[in-house]
Amino acid sequence: MEFLVWLEHTAIANAIRTTPWMYPTFETLHYVGLSMLVGGIMLIDLRVLGFARQLSLKSMIGLLPFVWVGFIINATTGSLLFIYGATGFGTNKAFYLKMTFMVIAGLNALAFDLAVRRATLDWVSADRPPPYVKVFATLSFALWLCVVTTGRWMAYR
Amino acid sequence: MGFLEWLEQTDFGTWVGESLWAYPFFETMHTIGMAMVIGSLGLINLRVLGYKSDLPIFATHKLLPLAWIGFTMNLVSGLSLFASDAQHFWNSYTFRLKMVLIILGGINAAILSRRVFQEPPAGAPPVVPTGGLKWIAASSLVFWFGAICAGRLIAYLP
Repeated sequence: MEFLVWLEHTAIANAIRTTPWMYPTFETLHYVGLSMLVGGIMLIDLRVLGFARQLSLKSMIGLLPFVWVGFIINATTGSLLFIYGATGFGTNKAFYLKMTFMVIAGLNALAFDLAVRRATLDWVSADRPPPYVKVFATLSFALWLCVVTTGRWMAYR
Repeated sequence: MGFLEWLEQTDFGTWVGESLWAYPFFETMHTIGMAMVIGSLGLINLRVLGYKSDLPIFATHKLLPLAWIGFTMNLVSGLSLFASDAQHFWNSYTFRLKMVLIILGGINAAILSRRVFQEPPAGAPPVVPTGGLKWIAASSLVFWFGAICAGRLIAYLP
């Protein structure tokens, strides 16, 4: 708790508190980043699961840089919003749920990434994702929906 | 009593406004639908602009069902949120700007679907986006991301 109080009184937090445009701007950018991050991940997951087969699996997995841009925007704006309201967020159950879902979604993405890199039978070019990769894709889709839902619910504990 | 006031006082409008979970539920649905629309239309527009040129441009219409599902989710959730506080939304300039941006984005999407998604006759070369189509794609990205920003800022701006 002391750490959260300290965070909330750092120069950054004070700047956000005293500059009226900052909070709405970071929040708005958080939505822009969300749509790139979650929009991109949904496309990749759905493609792995067999949606829009005419678009090659390889190109669709190639959307990942776009997803990373969204992630970086949201990690940055999310951290700034957190610093501003640290004591509120730090005691918010929906926030902890969101972070938990994000960590699991991150580990799942790591597993997917390893499956792409270590593929001995080049299933990406052959467009034949093995069943366990389809499990990763399904989990990813569900987990990111949970991240969005718990994130949205933070305003209503 | 005007239409907006009536809408707010319908059983549905008061339920969305007063129920503990209805408003966050529709807001969440609105956020997920947004990601679907941006993911699908964003990629189509980027493809028209030349990004990921290995994707056959005609085939990007396979992403349209996702855009329609997202759009429908957002129409339903958006109307529900609107009903709970109709006068406030209607009188908000930021809300009106958002509606204009969505209409412009929709017109652009309709033009693109006529020009890009028509299957070329067998043996004909694939569609290569011209400068005009690229302008439509670029302005679409501005309209959709503008709609997201305006939507978020309804809470802060007049």
